[in-house]
Amino acid sequence: MRLGLVFYLLIQSLWTSAQYNVSGRVTFRSDGQPAIGAIVQVKGTTTGTVTDYDGLFQITVPNGEATLTFTYIGYITVEMAVQGQTKLDIGLEENISQLEEVIVTGYGVQKRSSISGSVATVQAAEIAERPVLRVEQALQGRTAGVQIAQTSGSPGSGLTVRIRGVGTINNSDPLYIVDGIPVEGLDYLNPNDIESINVLKDAASAAIYGARGANGVVLISTKGGRRNQEGKISYDAYAGIQRPARLLDLLNAREYAVIQNEAHIAAGKTPPVEFANPDAMGRGTDWQEAIFQHAPISSHQLTLTGGAERSAYTLSGNYFSQDGIVGGDKANFQRITARLNGNHDLKKWFTLGNNLGFTWFERDALTENSQFNSPIIRALNMDPVTPIRKADGTYAYSNYADTDIANPVNAIEQTHNTWRSNRFVGSVYGDVRLTPALTFRSAYSLDITFALSRSFAPRFDLSALPGISEAPAAEKNLVNSVGVGNHTWRNAQWENYLTYQTSFSERHDLTLIAGTTALTNRYDANGGGNTNLPSNDPKDAYISNTIDPIASQSAWQWASESALLSWFGKANYELDEKYLFSATFRADGSSRFGRNNRYGYFPSFSAGWILSREGFWNSGIIDFAKLRASWGQNGNDRIGDYSFTTVVSSGQNYTFGPTEVITNGSVALNAANPDLKWETSTQTNFGLDMEGYGGRLGFTTDYFIKKTSDMLYAAPIPLVAGTAPPIQNIATAENSGLELALLYRNRDRAFKYALGGNITFIRSRVTGLGTGGEPVYSGYVQFANANASRTDVGHPLASFFGFVTDGIFQTQAEVEAAAFQNAGTAPGDIRFRDLDGNGIIDANDQTYIGNPTPDFTYGFNADLSWKGIELNLFFQGAEGNDIFNNTTRYDFGYVNRPSSVLNRWTGPGTSHSEPRVNLNDPNQNARISDRFVEDGSYLRLKTLQLAYNLPAAWLKKVQADKCKIYVTAQNLLTWTRYKGLDPEIGSVGGSLELGIDRGFYPQARTIMGGVSLTF
Amino acid sequence: MIVFLLISCSKDFLDKAPIVGITEENFYRTEQDAIAAVNAAYATLQFQLSPAGHFRWFWGDIMSDDAIKGGSGDNDVNDLLQLETFKGNANTDLLESEWGANYEGIYRANVVLEKVPPIVMNENLKARILGEAKFIRAWNFYNLVIMFGDVPLADRVLAPSEYNMPRTSASLVWDLIEKDLTEAAAVLWRRSEYPSADLGRITKGAAQALLVKTYLWREKWSEARMTAEAIIQSGEYNLVADYADIFPLYGENNIESIFEIQYMNASGGNWGKNNANEGTFTNVFTRARGQFAGYGFNIPTQDFVDEFFKEGFEDPRLKSTVFRVGDEMGDRGTFTIEATGGLPHLYYPKKYFSNKSEDATLGDPNPNGGSNDRVIRYADVLLMHAEASFFTGDETASRNSLNQVRARVSIPSVSASGPALLDAIYRERRIELGLEAHRFFDLVRTGRAAQVLGPLGFVSGVHELFPIPQSQIQATNGALSQNPGY
Repeated sequence: MRLGLVFYLLIQSLWTSAQYNVSGRVTFRSDGQPAIGAIVQVKGTTTGTVTDYDGLFQITVPNGEATLTFTYIGYITVEMAVQGQTKLDIGLEENISQLEEVIVTGYGVQKRSSISGSVATVQAAEIAERPVLRVEQALQGRTAGVQIAQTSGSPGSGLTVRIRGVGTINNSDPLYIVDGIPVEGLDYLNPNDIESINVLKDAASAAIYGARGANGVVLISTKGGRRNQEGKISYDAYAGIQRPARLLDLLNAREYAVIQNEAHIAAGKTPPVEFANPDAMGRGTDWQEAIFQHAPISSHQLTLTGGAERSAYTLSGNYFSQDGIVGGDKANFQRITARLNGNHDLKKWFTLGNNLGFTWFERDALTENSQFNSPIIRALNMDPVTPIRKADGTYAYSNYADTDIANPVNAIEQTHNTWRSNRFVGSVYGDVRLTPALTFRSAYSLDITFALSRSFAPRFDLSALPGISEAPAAEKNLVNSVGVGNHTWRNAQWENYLTYQTSFSERHDLTLIAGTTALTNRYDANGGGNTNLPSNDPKDAYISNTIDPIASQSAWQWASESALLSWFGKANYELDEKYLFSATFRADGSSRFGRNNRYGYFPSFSAGWILSREGFWNSGIIDFAKLRASWGQNGNDRIGDYSFTTVVSSGQNYTFGPTEVITNGSVALNAANPDLKWETSTQTNFGLDMEGYGGRLGFTTDYFIKKTSDMLYAAPIPLVAGTAPPIQNIATAENSGLELALLYRNRDRAFKYALGGNITFIRSRVTGLGTGGEPVYSGYVQFANANASRTDVGHPLASFFGFVTDGIFQTQAEVEAAAFQNAGTAPGDIRFRDLDGNGIIDANDQTYIGNPTPDFTYGFNADLSWKGIELNLFFQGAEGNDIFNNTTRYDFGYVNRPSSVLNRWTGPGTSHSEPRVNLNDPNQNARISDRFVEDGSYLRLKTLQLAYNLPAAWLKKVQADKCKIYVTAQNLLTWTRYKGLDPEIGSVGGSLELGIDRGFYPQARTIMGGVSLTF
Repeated sequence: MIVFLLISCSKDFLDKAPIVGITEENFYRTEQDAIAAVNAAYATLQFQLSPAGHFRWFWGDIMSDDAIKGGSGDNDVNDLLQLETFKGNANTDLLESEWGANYEGIYRANVVLEKVPPIVMNENLKARILGEAKFIRAWNFYNLVIMFGDVPLADRVLAPSEYNMPRTSASLVWDLIEKDLTEAAAVLWRRSEYPSADLGRITKGAAQALLVKTYLWREKWSEARMTAEAIIQSGEYNLVADYADIFPLYGENNIESIFEIQYMNASGGNWGKNNANEGTFTNVFTRARGQFAGYGFNIPTQDFVDEFFKEGFEDPRLKSTVFRVGDEMGDRGTFTIEATGGLPHLYYPKKYFSNKSEDATLGDPNPNGGSNDRVIRYADVLLMHAEASFFTGDETASRNSLNQVRARVSIPSVSASGPALLDAIYRERRIELGLEAHRFFDLVRTGRAAQVLGPLGFVSGVHELFPIPQSQIQATNGALSQNPGY
């Protein structure tokens, strides 16, 4: 259509008789290059022309009072009064407004200016600016309302993604839709392949995904080629080194011996004789240094893209490899991805498209985030007296460590866990243009994963005297064993929908969408194991590599499936490009819902008003302003495949016979619930979008209230029932929040810059747990043998709950004056507050002592560039959250301690915060209390990048278009008061496992160098 | 058109039943299903972590004057220390776990009693299975009634509307136990009638023996005596010649064994609430700490050890009951205070000691102890017979049974009569059945608890019963009342 207009204008200009000629040159102000094909028009007439290859134009104007307009796509239109001049040179400024940006919404696209819901976007360009290892990281700190945290710093591990906070005590993960395909997890996706990420935050935007939209929807589009585009070949690579950002200050051998001696004496025990002279013991072993290391990371990507008049394609391949800062290649992650996206007009009325992706990855994993046996918890707790190795070079075991705490270096070496995955995610679609306004799309997609898990536990024995095998249980494994599992996930989806798009009377824009989806998921798995293999080499670790393959072999198999059948419709209506209305409706039938509630219905409405297009708007600083409001309902269908039914569980075994034969027993372990259904969330959203200073300033804010009802919860039932309680839709929760995003950028000078920031405040609490619903306890802490988190009505989810400390008893008189704590309570012990005032410290003296959810999360960035030099800084942080520091195993007397224990109480007045040491801890100083709750707020310089773009003149000689070399530092600086290894802790093990540091695998500080080359 | 196509197949499309696993509707159809159902009830006999520990020896031994808690220190299961010093309150997961485990057993037995009768199968086998279920139900109610007194009488699978069931008086609970055991004894197979592969199943003798215990609690002396005599005359049981042969692994399910909970060390089970684990935690819990790699619980008292010397010689059973300093602890080394991690205990329990060579070869050895729990031995039946005979006035029969037990370990016969004979029987129970989880309940049953345990804090009228778990009073919105004194 544009091309038509150009010709029309050309012809017009030839016909018009000349009264007054104006000529001149149109250039881009940024680089002074000529603007070829800019439209020059006499305002208020149909007279016009286009600029030539040198940006030159000549036009006849009716008189000296005429005004000319200069239009070029992507640049701000310039109006210039001729004022009798015959020569006009125009510099065009880039239009940096985001209003024309195309946003992918469910089953369609919309201009940002037309959207009345709440959608956040990250574009490929922003991802390219700062290399990320995983797709989710591209969203972290960039989008208001989306909170993201690493679940671990180990290579290939996932991230916790929470859109508008945690709305349910159950699964809170958003729905991911990649190129229209619903996928579980994004680990397979290569960040370099991504064109855009759009996050549907409010219920009205997500309602088109019905029963799956309650936790928000992340829509990801991968890169396809553009039509009429010259072919491009790009090579992107980086390589770097990761290092631990921080090590903890623990006791050295001398200090450890001092503390141990004191703890023994306090407990009435004789200190070990070998600790008699602490000064002779020196520094001993630094177990953190023993397990942390420098680890390499690298990525190589080749992308080929091009487009002709009737087709376009992108082909890409990537290899990525990362070692872990703990475990090195024992925590390696490698990924190969290949992608072919294309679209072709086979007929005038028919387009065929495909998005095909294949991923192979292999991940070697160590035990992580476990308070029992991870390398990190062992390194933090292993005594510094024990050497890493014995004199003969073999690994040593500790004479002092108790269960769980074993030599971490040996444990890493004995770990052989591999997960290998081959995943194909692809879709093929056809678009049929039935009429100019009506299009029909049919899309079939498959997401198939074939995965293999292998583990091998070799034989080893750290005993000094192998004949006696005196090493403790965790320091030897006398029988090796191998385990293998094969997993297949197959998700198939068939979608069909019609899109009707029309404008009439020049005032009305209408889009109607209606369609159906059928989706099936199936999971199959089988595996087996064997023990006592003759070879102890991991290479030989196959089930059948044994003399007697049958005797100790085991096998298992599992399968499950689910199906979803849906109808949906959407209507967008725009009046005068000022008044925006949208309505959606979805009906979802799911096999996961009980027979009595098979279908769920999800409506939504939204409206927008572009104030700035009203006559009364005084376009001063603010050029654009839009008010938005929306309401909608979504569901959460992640309730398990068969939760409604009662399965008779086998494996309730007993042993019979003289040879002790394990004999199967079967019984239903919980009660059924045929009424089971989705969790419903109802959300209201108000928003305001503004732009000012010619698009340089952008501002967006949203306020939302999200109420979740029918939340699944198995309210405890009296134990007299003898079964576990049935799962019921009984609990409720409420989230509310405020999101703000501000951006200022200026690109019209040689020094270009963009400054942006966003902040999200979220408040979430449980509002009901059903009749008889008791608080839900979670967050088990082994050292206290108790749960640290409690979720109850009126409180934030998984709040820390425990005793309140009140200083240290300085004298026996103080002990006697205070409430009774324990028979062994003595001066130097912690005084706990007697909250109920009954004179005894008991379970009733516990209260809420911390909140793991931040008051707000934020991110801000500064992107500066000058003559090919670019500097990007990106900060991200969280404020107001607490972390429960569960990294010291206080339940063991012999473990190492943070060096803060050196400030312990040793007599009246010596300490008011650090209790005395005692091997037995008779006062239970290590009970769950605010002593272990620390401020988890942090601010992190997530990315710092310095780049240089080679001058175009150099590149022309080698036929290259672009060459950028850069250095990037990730996690370079962190400001926090938290005393653990890393304050950025995601949710590991469910929505109610929040903010408990069990020896978190910290994120690495990474320095990388990279190159980005385009031909 | 496509839309209609989808609708037409939607009903089947969305009907997804579990692929692996069976729902309650299509189970309980065959003989195998009936056996699996009763086996699931058996599985509850093994429960020890539900999820907190609730070992029989917690209540029978540690609560008594025979043993103290032990462990790594006072904080190691501190709730148990509170209970054994009679300061415990209702708010402990130990009692909640005991309560829950018993009701889980009752539920599973009730499922058998409701679902198995309609199954078409061998009637003889069906009768036996129902008998086994009745025994298991009775056993769980027995545990509940001796610990808590009045308890909810869940004599059927409860509907959700019945979950807030109040307590029923103990005598009605005892009635159900008596009825279940009587009916079970009538249909259960004798030990010799079971094929060898079924070793470990509940026998007629087991039902009778538990019935004898029930009668003793109810002071139904003549019924107790008659039932005990039925066991004695059955010819199915006898005393093992050497007392030292009863408790090692090779002594499991011996001629003296009447009711024995089966455990094995090779199931590869793990920690966790009552999971599919066939091993016992008793071995590791009751073994000394330090180089013996145990947790050091159930520490015998000096008072208990002294009991073995009261006849002027060392009772030969002591060396099979208790480890003393200097003893070899199997193949794990010599018992010295240092070797036990410096804990100040002079004695450790021996009956459930397991050698290193008997450790599980598969998985974590700690949850995989192999020792069966000897719940009722023939010696116990003889002593119960002696007690019942005494109260029915037949001192000769009483002395005869008592002296059979003594003769086995070659110690002099008792010739006492009257109260001295009764005392001798009681004393014989303490020694013969020492650290087998009888003592506390024997003291309560025979009314001697206040006298013996008073110095330890026992208050008559309160501590005969444990408190009803506070969590259960809350969960039923107060439908359950608390025991007096708590």
